[in-house]
Amino acid sequence: MLRIIQKRNIFFILSGTLVLVSIAAFIVWGLKLSIDFTGGSLSEISFIKDRPNVAEVRELLVSQKLNNTDEAVIQPAGSNELIIRTKTLTEDEHQQLVNVLKDNYGQENVVENRFESIGPVIGQELQNKAIVAVIIVLALIITYIAFTFRKVSKPMASWKYGLAATIALVHDVTIITGAFVLLGHYLNIEVGLLFVTALLTLLGYSVNDTIVVFDRIRENLIYRPKETFAETVNQSANETIARSINTSLTALLVLLALYFLGGVTIKYFVLALILGIIFGTYSSIFVASALLVSWHEFSRRKR
Amino acid sequence: MASFSRKRLSLTLVFIIILALFSALADWHASPLQEGGAGLNVPEWLPGKNFWNKFDYHLGLDLKGGTHLIYDADTLQIASDDRESAVEGVRDVIERRVNAFGVSEPVVQTNKSGLADYRIIVELAGVKDVNQAIAMIGETPLLEFKEQNPAYSGQQELTTEQQKELDDYNQQALKRAEEINKRALAGENFESLAREFSEDQGSRDKGGDLGWAARGTFVPEFDQALFEDLSVGQITPAPIKTDFGYHIIKKIDERQIKSDQPEATVEATDLSGEKVTDVNVDLNNNIEVLSSHILIKTKTANDILPPKDEWKNTELSGKHLKKSSVNYDNNTGDPEVSLEFNDEGAKLFEEITGRNVGKPVAIFLDGTPISVPNVNEKITGGKAVITGRFNLQEAKTLVQRLNAGALPVPISLISQQTVGPSLGQRSINDSLIAGLYGLLAVAVFMILYYRLPGFLSVLALAIYTLVVLMIFKVMPVTLTLAGMAGFIFSVGIAVDANVLIFERFKEELRAGRAYANAVEEGFKRAWTSIRDSNFSSLLTCLVLYWFGSSVIRGFAMTLGIGIIISMFSAIIITRSFMRLLKAGRMEKMGWLLGVKQKKS
Repeated sequence: MLRIIQKRNIFFILSGTLVLVSIAAFIVWGLKLSIDFTGGSLSEISFIKDRPNVAEVRELLVSQKLNNTDEAVIQPAGSNELIIRTKTLTEDEHQQLVNVLKDNYGQENVVENRFESIGPVIGQELQNKAIVAVIIVLALIITYIAFTFRKVSKPMASWKYGLAATIALVHDVTIITGAFVLLGHYLNIEVGLLFVTALLTLLGYSVNDTIVVFDRIRENLIYRPKETFAETVNQSANETIARSINTSLTALLVLLALYFLGGVTIKYFVLALILGIIFGTYSSIFVASALLVSWHEFSRRKR
Repeated sequence: MASFSRKRLSLTLVFIIILALFSALADWHASPLQEGGAGLNVPEWLPGKNFWNKFDYHLGLDLKGGTHLIYDADTLQIASDDRESAVEGVRDVIERRVNAFGVSEPVVQTNKSGLADYRIIVELAGVKDVNQAIAMIGETPLLEFKEQNPAYSGQQELTTEQQKELDDYNQQALKRAEEINKRALAGENFESLAREFSEDQGSRDKGGDLGWAARGTFVPEFDQALFEDLSVGQITPAPIKTDFGYHIIKKIDERQIKSDQPEATVEATDLSGEKVTDVNVDLNNNIEVLSSHILIKTKTANDILPPKDEWKNTELSGKHLKKSSVNYDNNTGDPEVSLEFNDEGAKLFEEITGRNVGKPVAIFLDGTPISVPNVNEKITGGKAVITGRFNLQEAKTLVQRLNAGALPVPISLISQQTVGPSLGQRSINDSLIAGLYGLLAVAVFMILYYRLPGFLSVLALAIYTLVVLMIFKVMPVTLTLAGMAGFIFSVGIAVDANVLIFERFKEELRAGRAYANAVEEGFKRAWTSIRDSNFSSLLTCLVLYWFGSSVIRGFAMTLGIGIIISMFSAIIITRSFMRLLKAGRMEKMGWLLGVKQKKS
């Protein structure tokens, strides 16, 4: 049997460090928001024959003095694509941009795969909507946990289970956000609506693992009345660890396939899900139940 | 101790097999993404192949290619009560314009965001020229009132008599031109000849003076004479024919132009005297010419033929309409459409009806007549009623259209998402391959780890996949790229329920229960966990669906459906398969179950 609860300080230090680093990175650098939230335009261009290098294209745009493209961010993507991000372009400005590229690199060579243009108003709206959605999901899940554990009272009050599970969730979300702050800072990876979608999905998904562990604790508290609370919790975590890891593993297998084979557009959405499932499983086994025990012992000592 | 009847088990298995077969056949057909592309059809020999080929996947714009546009309708100028109908009117107009593209199943929706922000969402699948589509949608609706053109007779071609008349006239013109040309060549004052004879309103009073002009200002025949054939001081030996008529030209002077611009835009007068602006002039030759001309006009068929259009514009238009609404005739109760003009419109309408009593006046919307009522009497007071044989729905539609035309709500494009067809095809391929490998990886893991039950769960997972795809077709669910990801993710989650059950089942076996008993107990005790854990995911899906744009909705929808079906799959399909195994034999083969059993 793994001595998970006994060694909980290791996990507290590990998690604490990751959370603090994430928060610090978030404060210093912040997330790189995509045009979903800031407004702006994105054009994904395929070069059938050969792709010009980024500096060359940037120079071309500067020399053409097109509207709104002076601060264009140009990134290579895939094997022969460039992604050009600019301020919000009108349809006319967009056509000018495409035509400049076609004139310089050949009508047949340049194909625009994708164009997105989002006005600042919509960006602001989506931002607000995303925040509201996160709050609603968190509230729903806390209510749900509280409801699920309403009948547990000894030796811990039911709301304490709820709070421990919620802390584990906040822990997961903070670390994933931290990871994307770093990705944004070092690799220019932006977070948009899909990132928020991933976060929300994870909130719903990874709370399950925690609930299963807690469920077992509840059950074992009845069947094993002689053990200490810490022993019962450790026993429960050990009993459920195989299924926690296995369920996450199956989800991870399909997500890894999607990450490597599923195309550029959803790559970082899938990455957020992958990170979320890894940390979600970790926190439900090593953090949530450990928190319960520490809390229990803390309040006993106080008495 | 089995707590179920064998008969019920057989029935369930038959049901599962029928469901799997039905789903597999329904899933089979896939329409090609592009016209003429490769699609999938069930084999020819299959009975009812037409039925199976009717099921189709509904792909989102990011998979089949197309554009998603969001317009903001500026309703601030409109009384708040009328905003809704004004925006509906705008949607109608856009819908009609969009229909003209011949795009299959265009979507035009209105959406209210916030208190007074109206949005119009337009989705055009597979549209080729997005730029043109945007231009056409953005035109403000145009409402016009037209009266009959008195000169209109329906005649389209010249009679022989008229043709002769035309030829004679032009013959005369040539004669006159030649006469004048001779007099000019003979040394008569060109200026006074121009003043006397030229039919070019613009230059006649200036003695035919056309000013300095570079090449490209005039029609080619004229340029040819002026820049190539004539030298300075020369007059054309014979009249030059252009579309306008016969020209007698005098080249007065020429000079070099100093300019570093290769082209310049000049304001010029064309040869018939109409003002032409923005003529691109080629300054490469660096030569400008000062010239005069005398024009003798000729006639074409269009000068003689009556107008081609039955209708003639009046000054009254949509901008004079204050409001329109649906009324009911006092006597018959039939719906009718009432119009209310502003002051200027009222005056114009009075004049127009005054001169058209007993004749029709046509109301045009975007260039097509929507109603051609007859004027019974001169109408004062700026109010009109269109009675006709329309039903209530038609009357309402007309009012919407009229209000849209009358109160053109300015719309502006605030968001555009366009995906080319090749990217869509690639996304589909990528997702399918990723899904296939994902499924395979899960299958290998389940079989290695859980042995025989693992294999059964893979069978159940395959059926699950078929059923979910079938539901996507039947509901229908619009599949987007994120939706495909959601579906593939749901495969990973679907197997979770099996993991929960098998772990519980193994625990029961280790605790010394018999096979059949362990199966039942495993399912029973895992059920609460399965229910609880899926419930929170479903909650999230609901919020995502509410929160999301179409992309996210696709994800929430497929994931949600996946989760619901996965519960059914684990509880019904996997359990039936497990029950099917002969308990006695199983107990001797613990390795098949991945458990070392205690002797009970």
